[in-house]
Formats: sequence, C-alpha cells, structure tokens
Amino acid sequence: MAITLTPPQRVRRPADRRHRGAGRWIVLALVGAAALAMLVPFAFMLLNAFKSPADYSTNGPLSWPSEFYTTGLRTYWEQVDFPVKLWNSVLISGSVAVLAVVVSLLSAYALGVGRVRGRLWIIGLFLLANMLPQEALIYPLYHFAKEAGLYNTRLAVIIIFTVIQAAFGTYLLASVLGTFPRTLLEAAALDGAGRWRILWRVVLPNVRPTISVLLVFFFIWTWNEFLIPLVMLIDNQTQTVPVALASLQGDRLMDAPTTNAGALISLLPAILFFLIFQRTLSRGITAGADK
Amino acid sequence: MRRFREVAIAVTVAALAATGLVACGDDGGDSEAKVLKLWHYESANSAMGIAWDRAIEIFKDEHPGVEVRFERKAFEQIQQNAGMILNSSEGPDIMEYNKGNATSGLLSSQGLLADLTEEATKRGWDTALSPSLQTTARYDNGVMGSGNWYGVPNYGEYVTVYYNKELFAEHGVTVPRTLAEMAAAMDTFVAKGVTPLGMSGAEYPAGQLFYQLALSRADRAFVNNYQLYANPVDFKADPLRYGAETFAEWVRKGYVAKDSASLKAEDMGTGFISGKTPMIVSGSWWFGRFKSEISFDWDTFLFPGNTLHAGSSGNLWVVPETSKAKSLAYDFIDITMRPEIQTLIGNNGGIPVAGDPATIKDPKDRKLIEDFNRVSSQDGLAFYPDWPVPGYYDVLVSGFQGLINQSRSPEQVLDAIAKPYQDGVAEIKRD
Repeated sequence: MAITLTPPQRVRRPADRRHRGAGRWIVLALVGAAALAMLVPFAFMLLNAFKSPADYSTNGPLSWPSEFYTTGLRTYWEQVDFPVKLWNSVLISGSVAVLAVVVSLLSAYALGVGRVRGRLWIIGLFLLANMLPQEALIYPLYHFAKEAGLYNTRLAVIIIFTVIQAAFGTYLLASVLGTFPRTLLEAAALDGAGRWRILWRVVLPNVRPTISVLLVFFFIWTWNEFLIPLVMLIDNQTQTVPVALASLQGDRLMDAPTTNAGALISLLPAILFFLIFQRTLSRGITAGADK
Repeated sequence: MRRFREVAIAVTVAALAATGLVACGDDGGDSEAKVLKLWHYESANSAMGIAWDRAIEIFKDEHPGVEVRFERKAFEQIQQNAGMILNSSEGPDIMEYNKGNATSGLLSSQGLLADLTEEATKRGWDTALSPSLQTTARYDNGVMGSGNWYGVPNYGEYVTVYYNKELFAEHGVTVPRTLAEMAAAMDTFVAKGVTPLGMSGAEYPAGQLFYQLALSRADRAFVNNYQLYANPVDFKADPLRYGAETFAEWVRKGYVAKDSASLKAEDMGTGFISGKTPMIVSGSWWFGRFKSEISFDWDTFLFPGNTLHAGSSGNLWVVPETSKAKSLAYDFIDITMRPEIQTLIGNNGGIPVAGDPATIKDPKDRKLIEDFNRVSSQDGLAFYPDWPVPGYYDVLVSGFQGLINQSRSPEQVLDAIAKPYQDGVAEIKRD
C-alpha cells in the first residue's frame, strides 16, 4: 500500500561508503542468521523424508540417512491418492483467493472510498470474524452446511473461507483506500466517470500490488487450513492436502519418516505457487510505481 | 411455453417417482442394499489393516453384486467428527470407532449407533468374547460395562513389558517373576550405570506404569469402583497410594530417568528400538513396529506378579443408526470374527480376540497372544487409568511429570489427581 502512494523516504546517508558498511554487515549477518533458523525445520524434513522407519527409530532424527529411501514418498503418494487431494486443494484455495479478493475490493471500496456511516464499527465487526477461533464457528457452520445440503462438498469450504479471508482483506483494503487521494477521485468524477468506472479504472490500478499480495496470502492461508476442511470434507474424494497428511498420524503410533515425506510433497505446490506469483508480485509493484 | 411446462411437469413427476422408489427400497429391508460403505483408520500394513483387507475380499466373494466402498480415514478425523458425520446422511454403513465412554458410549447414548444385541446373540459374538472384552462393547446410557451391544471388537491390547534380551544377557539379568525380582533386576542395571526403564512423562506411559503398580495391590472390586463407579475410590489408600509411592521410589532409585518427564511416547519407543533401553512398560500397540524395526533379540513378559493388567479390547466395529446396509454390515462383522481373519490378525503382530494361539507361527507373536489370553481368561483386563472421566489424561500426565522430576511428593500428586476424578464422576452420575 505504502509502496504506490507514498514515495519511499529518502534518508540522507553519509557519503563515506566504509562507514555505511559496518552497520550493513551486522544487519546482513542478523538476516542471514534468521534465514538459517527458518530453514532448519525444512532441513530436518528433507533429511528425514528419505530415511527408512527403522533407520529413523534406531539413529534418531539428526543422523544422515543410511540409504536413499524413497518408499515413504511413494507410500504417501499412493495411500492418500495425492493427485485428487492436490486438485481439491488447488480448486479450493484458488477459488477462495480470487473470490475473497473480489469481495474485499468491493466492500473496501464502499467502506474506504464511499465513507459509509459507522464504517469503523463495520470494519471492527469484520475483523472479529477473522479473530474468532474456528473451533467456536465449527458447529454453527456444520449445521448451516447440513441444512443447505452443502455438507461434504468443496463449495461449502470455498464459501466459508471466502468470507473469512474477505473479512481480513476488507479490513486491510479499507484502510488503504481510506488514504486514497481524494483529488484523483474528484478528477475522475469531473471527467464523468461513475462509481463503477472509478473503481475499475482509477482505484483498482492503484491498489493492484496490495491485491496481488492479498491473493498470494489468501491462497497460502487457505491451502494450510486444517480444521474446517477436516470437519466439512469427510469423503476421501473431496479432501485437501493437509487433511490427507493427517491420515498418517495414528491413535498411538506415528510414522515420522512417512509424515516427513508427505509434508515434503504437500509443501511443494505451495512453494511453487509462491515462487510463480513472486514474479507477478514484483511486476505489479513496478507497474504501480510507473504511474 | 406450454410445451415447456409439460416437459417441466414430466421431469418433476419422474424425479418424484425416482425418489419415491428409492425410499421404498430403503423401507423394504436393507437386504436389497447394493453398496457397503466401510471406513476404518488402521494403516494398510498393520495387523488389522491386512486382516480387514482379506475380510473385505471374503465379503465380496460371498456377496456378489454388492459393491464395497472402503475408505481409509485419518484417526483424527474420526476422533473429532464422528458425532457430526453420523448425524448427517453422508456417513458410512459400518466403521471402526474408539471404545470407551467418551467415544462409543457417548454416541450410543445419543442414539447414533445401532443396537447390536440381537445380532450378537444370534451370531454368537457374545460367547466368542470374554467378559472383560465385552465390557467395552456394551453401554448402558453411555457408560460401559453393561447394557446393549453397540460395538464388536476384533482385537485386544494390553500393557506388558518389552525387554532387550541382549542387554539382559550382557548384564546377567534374568526375566523377573515378581515385583521384588523386577526391582532387583533394575538395581543390577543401575549399578552398572544403565537406566533400566524407558519412560515418557509427557504422554500416556507414566500414567500406565502408575496404574500397573497400583494394580499389583488391587482386585476386581477396585477396578469396578475406579472404572465403572461402583463405589467411591479413596486416593489416599492402597492401591493408588501404593502405586504413587512405588513410582516415586523407582524414580528416586534411578530406575526411571528424571529427564524423561518431558519425553514423548515416541521418544521412549525409539529409545528401545535403538537398543539403549533395557525395558519399557507399554502397550501391545508397539509390537508390530518393534517387530519390523528392531534388529537385536527382544521379547515380552507380563508385568511381574500382577493378575490385573492395563488393557482392553481394541477399537470397535460400530454400525451407525443411519446405515443403509445394516444387514450387510452385520455380515461383515461376522466375517471378521471368523478364525481365518482372527489368525491373520495374530500372524501379523496383532492380538486376536477369538484366536487359537496354536495356529500362530512366530514364537514371539504366540507369546504375546498367550499372555493376553491368560490375562483375559482370568478376567484380568483393567482398562486404562485415564478412562473414567473426560479430560483425565491431561490430569494424569501433569501429575506424574511432577513425580518424575521430583517437584511433587506422592501425596501431592494423589491430591492433584483425586479432585478432577471425583468432580468428573459426580458429573457423570448426575446425568
């Protein structure tokens, strides 16, 4: 948001390059350390995904695999019928990301630009929907879905998450649009543009970077959701990837290497998605900066 | 326009007729059902997974024209949602479900499970299962032990002692037959700097060891009081007092590592698999995994001196009240009780409930099953310490963590676990 509308603050730096260097190196080291700390769990996952269960139990999670063991990956893929789960996850997360962004934009336009009376309260209410623990929502949602005949359908999950994610999106976009330059809007209105036209021709191009970020977030958040899909999708044919991953965990026993293998496979699509959209994201930012 | 209306009416009438026909099919007995929707959550290579796959095959052979729609479920999913699933029309015709008051008991009291009493007597399940196994199959207003049949267990489980034969031989220790001999054996290990007993304070093993120790001084009346609320239980008297004090003594003497307070059951299991721990006291659910992952020589022995042991039937086959193929479901349960399937469970590291140990090939498997049969036939299954009241598992875990890291005395721990028990029982009795 700040990227398009407020130009980056130019801080006067001392001209001496070496002076600037010391602080930069410290920051670089800190960032490097933080990045490493973030990567440690992934490293463990990778390490244990290619280990046989016996190897894992005998030598623990820290050891180097004694053989390159891929049966865990294959077991997981076949046991949970991964392509079906992947399709379900992509369908649900993709639909939610797009729908939630559209809904957020429309409601944020009304609240942020339209200046509806009591908008602060409305936004607060929206945010509440996002802050409520899902455990509290689950029973009412179950009953509504059952009454509507949507229980055990992907549509139910798409609707629920579109609303939940749009609540956050509205909050964010409304505050962005609250600071939208009135002069731009007035100029457009003087040129004879209606509200609809202003939204698509003036507002949308300016908030596109924010929207791209929201799109990516909504996709990944929905992708990782567990509880609501677990409750709403009971057929193996409709389940999502995180629910499939949970099927590896038994009553009293766990199979750590297969779980790691499963986590690895399940994580890849989300990472891939992020990498692909990372490009669009930065392109969106530069496009906005040109304006 | 007129034409359109005619078509619309025709379609509506056809649709109504179709649903009407389906409804008739439902009412006219489910022997007509052509689909059996079956769910369970055992992994494909476990004893139950293998045996039940075979049972499905047999079922298909005997019911040509019936489609079996099997789905393997996540344990967590059934645990969290069984009530919601069975309350909808999307549920299965037969499924595996957890035994106990909080699970099968609760659903049976809500009318979500079909009453199997008639089938159990007609098909002889009531004679195939010993009384202590039947306890978890029958529920009266949601409380196990008596009343109608709501589930049928296929396998059993109990808490036993796993030991590393090589470490025993190396330190000149023989298999103990009394609790005193067990203590002496552990002294030998401690003297040589080896912690004899693997433990996990953060999960169920600590509570189960405490319960095993208490059971060494207990009789069936205590179990009925503690588990079935026959009479109030005094936590400050034996056997529970003895259990807590002996547990504390074992910690003091170094039989149990103090840093095991924060360990998970998985850590205890991998400790044994890696050959570092001479003994663990834990359930038969480890058996299959140990068999496939351990390279050294190991075996099991019953907790020495006890006639009562923590243990019960395994999970149950239940038939939801909404099942559209009840009689097919009963046929399937009956197949799983046959000797062929029961032997298959036994030969793959499980404990059959109606099995003949003589048909089991592997000596380790046979020992496990013979021990279970001995316990079961002398009415020695005492269930688990966390069963009596909802949420008691966490109470026990935090209580015995305090005992393992010696931050609390046995008296304090007994006080801490007595109150939630008494409150919970009062709550159950009020309903």
